[in-house]
Amino acid sequence: MMWLQPWAAWFLAGLPLIVLLYLLKVRRRPAVVSTLIFWQKVVQEHRRRALFQRLRSLLSLLLHLLIFALIVAALARPTFDRFVHDGTSTVLVVDIRARMNAVEPDGATRFAKAIQAALLQTRDASATRQFALLTIGPEPAVLLPFTGNERTLRETLEKLQPTEAAGAAEPAFALANDLLATRRGERRTMVFTDRKEAAPEGIIFQTVGSARDNAAIVRFAARPLPASPSTSEVFLEVRNFSDQPLKANLELRYDEKLLDVKPLALEANGKQTLVFPSLPRPGANARGQFTATLDHADALASDNIARLWLPPPRPVRVLLISSGNVFLEKALSADPAVSYEVLAPEVWNAALAAKFDVVLFDAFVPAPLPPANSFFLQRTPFNAEGAAALEQPVLTGIDSTHPILRLLDFNQTTILRAFPLTLPPPTPEWTYAAPLRAFEQALLVVGERRSNPPQRIAALGLDLTATDLPLRVAFPLLITNTVHWLAGTANEATAGLRAGEILPLAEGEKIASDQQPAITGQFQPLRNGFYPLVRGGRSAWVAVNTFAEAEADLRGAAVSAAPAVPVAALKLPAVVGNLTTWPLWRYLALGALALFTLEWSLFHRRRTE
Amino acid sequence: MWALPAPTDAPAPLLFDSAFLAKLEQLHLLAKKLFRGEHRAERRSRQIGSSLEFADYRNYSWGDEPRTIDWAVYARLDRLFVKLFEQERDLDVHFLVDASASMRWSATEKGPQRKLQQSCHIAAALAYVALANLDRVNIAWFDETLREDTGLTRGKSQFHAVLDYLRRPPEVAVKTALAPSLKAFSQRLKRRGLVFVLSDFLDPTGYEEGLNLLRHHHFEVHAVQVLDPAELAPSLSGDLRLTECETGEAYEVTATDALVRDYRDAIAKWLEELEQFCLRRGIGYAQATTEVPFEDLVLRVLRDGVMLK
Repeated sequence: MMWLQPWAAWFLAGLPLIVLLYLLKVRRRPAVVSTLIFWQKVVQEHRRRALFQRLRSLLSLLLHLLIFALIVAALARPTFDRFVHDGTSTVLVVDIRARMNAVEPDGATRFAKAIQAALLQTRDASATRQFALLTIGPEPAVLLPFTGNERTLRETLEKLQPTEAAGAAEPAFALANDLLATRRGERRTMVFTDRKEAAPEGIIFQTVGSARDNAAIVRFAARPLPASPSTSEVFLEVRNFSDQPLKANLELRYDEKLLDVKPLALEANGKQTLVFPSLPRPGANARGQFTATLDHADALASDNIARLWLPPPRPVRVLLISSGNVFLEKALSADPAVSYEVLAPEVWNAALAAKFDVVLFDAFVPAPLPPANSFFLQRTPFNAEGAAALEQPVLTGIDSTHPILRLLDFNQTTILRAFPLTLPPPTPEWTYAAPLRAFEQALLVVGERRSNPPQRIAALGLDLTATDLPLRVAFPLLITNTVHWLAGTANEATAGLRAGEILPLAEGEKIASDQQPAITGQFQPLRNGFYPLVRGGRSAWVAVNTFAEAEADLRGAAVSAAPAVPVAALKLPAVVGNLTTWPLWRYLALGALALFTLEWSLFHRRRTE
Repeated sequence: MWALPAPTDAPAPLLFDSAFLAKLEQLHLLAKKLFRGEHRAERRSRQIGSSLEFADYRNYSWGDEPRTIDWAVYARLDRLFVKLFEQERDLDVHFLVDASASMRWSATEKGPQRKLQQSCHIAAALAYVALANLDRVNIAWFDETLREDTGLTRGKSQFHAVLDYLRRPPEVAVKTALAPSLKAFSQRLKRRGLVFVLSDFLDPTGYEEGLNLLRHHHFEVHAVQVLDPAELAPSLSGDLRLTECETGEAYEVTATDALVRDYRDAIAKWLEELEQFCLRRGIGYAQATTEVPFEDLVLRVLRDGVMLK
């Protein structure tokens, strides 16, 4: 014996209440009579039968307790183990991938049709016909384990929403198989989707929808131009999943402001790649949200919009601690993405560093070192103690892959004197490298601490008065590269997230919006859109798109030939209306009703004659 | 003293149509005994008088009215005989109507006082029969004591006075006390006659003493018992707190089917005892429930009960 709803046992706590009601004094109905002579006479005779009356009252109490117990037992939904284990077990697999959002000619979505078909199957749910609910999505999920509760199944199906994510069906089939492996009796898997897919034998497909034409944006990327950080380059690809050519306009918006419109002419089953080479990026107060919209009405609207987040340029704040260095100030002034302030070493205060992205120390090493991104020039914390200056060093080791030395050319540079630096050994927190060397001597040391945000340090052992580097093109490039590397800014293209992908969130990062509680740890968006990402007190956005050609191609859908009737009714012998197939709770409820009628007849029936 | 709250419904007016009164005029109140009357009337008496009803012969003696000599007998027997005729006298008919609280009880709250109305109708109808036969009629209310009566009246012209008296029962309803009331009645009157006691006879102290008292004082007694059907077969059930309308006494009862069945048996047995009591003592007895139309009651039931002919 099993109890499908054991929580109903809590109602048994009400039993003392019934007993209490019996212990309470009977509230008698007043009536006026012409004489009490005969009532007193007959009651005195009846007192001989008082014991029987007490037993009669006790019988009424027992009947009430029994009725109550039967009702509670019925609510607890008892069933025999063999019914549960030897009955039919069906796994209903509902496709919630992006293409199930496609609208059919009758106005209903494929998903709505699939839910209706699944609801039809759950009508006959009982202890002997149990169903489990799975979904095909970005990853298979068990919505509901095996249950015979039709109401629970119906409510779960009605609450289910489609996603805008892609995904594979095979893992869901495997999960369904695993679920059924522990079940006895007849087992089956039913899939509610828009097309039949490769699946193990025995899986029943109930497909909904029809082949529809669709066009979709399948690629969308943008990046700021390295030579001009305030300018972006945008790339996107549009595909036509139709046997008919397509003409449409593509609108590009930045923060919902229209930037450009391009006409598209796609051949049948063709694709077109678009590049917007030089789109200006707005100011620092912009959100940085790019939106590409394909102006074309088709069956699936969600893939006609693509989203991308590109942050607006933010100037790097630099504090220059120097007694006066015109080369450095000119180099910093040359970079439009840098704003700087100059301070004499005598008034240096470590608290000032918190307000700047980078602190540049010119021939000055403070004690203690500030916890900031720092660039030391000439005098550095890594100067080898007691080592003599290098005279006319030859640069033999240049790591041009390092961001600081990218695009630098030292061939025409003359260095009269340099200070050799000591490369510190790595620690659990810090890692160091020497991307510029003169034989064994390090002239440039860079270090990075593993923290959030990371702290970086760079030290260059050159005396700017003993080299012609400040007169070379390489010098402002070196300063710019160093400052931007220290500040952590990069001119790399930002990629969005595909719906259903998991974005790990570092400590301190969270997805926070007004509509839902903050998400930390990891984030798996199932719908397209922009999601606000809070990172170190600064706001960013996560752009989520489907970008799956399998989801955009709607031509594979086909209505199932299988009749839309419960499979259980097809497979099992006709037992509807047979009392022996009733669930146990119905017998209990009938018993309670019968006892209630008996109790009413014995104790409460009013004479009408 | 406990009294029922006065019902909102006043007693219905006592109405008699002329056809019914004409039927009543054809009736006579039956009296087994011959009572000495004061006035000439239509009722036979033991006195020899001058009515048309022949009574007997006796020998002629000096001083007899020569008109009374039966000359046909003298021709046959050659002796003088005088014809004697009965003297027809009137009869005193008394109506004692119970006006206690139980007679004003109704099965429904503030319902009409059907028992009292039925009693008044019966008393009025019988009084009309008596008045129409030139008998003298006296009516009195009683409950725990005997109330002021109308005094003996005679002739149909007094019927309105009778009705007027019956329309005004005592204002305060109290309990029934048959024996003291009937004792007071028998002591109040010296001349005997017919007595109709209209009551439900629901006296906890019993009805026997009162009725016996009347009989011992040589009244010819007729008991007319008026009951409500709800008293004979109550429709009560469940847990009840019963209150007696006369005393206000409360009694808790769980009215089951069996208890109500026993109640019916008990009251049927009590009615049987009352009827047997009356039968054995020569007391006329009739039972009248309020559901029987009083015209039928007077014209059929009371005739069957040997009160009218």
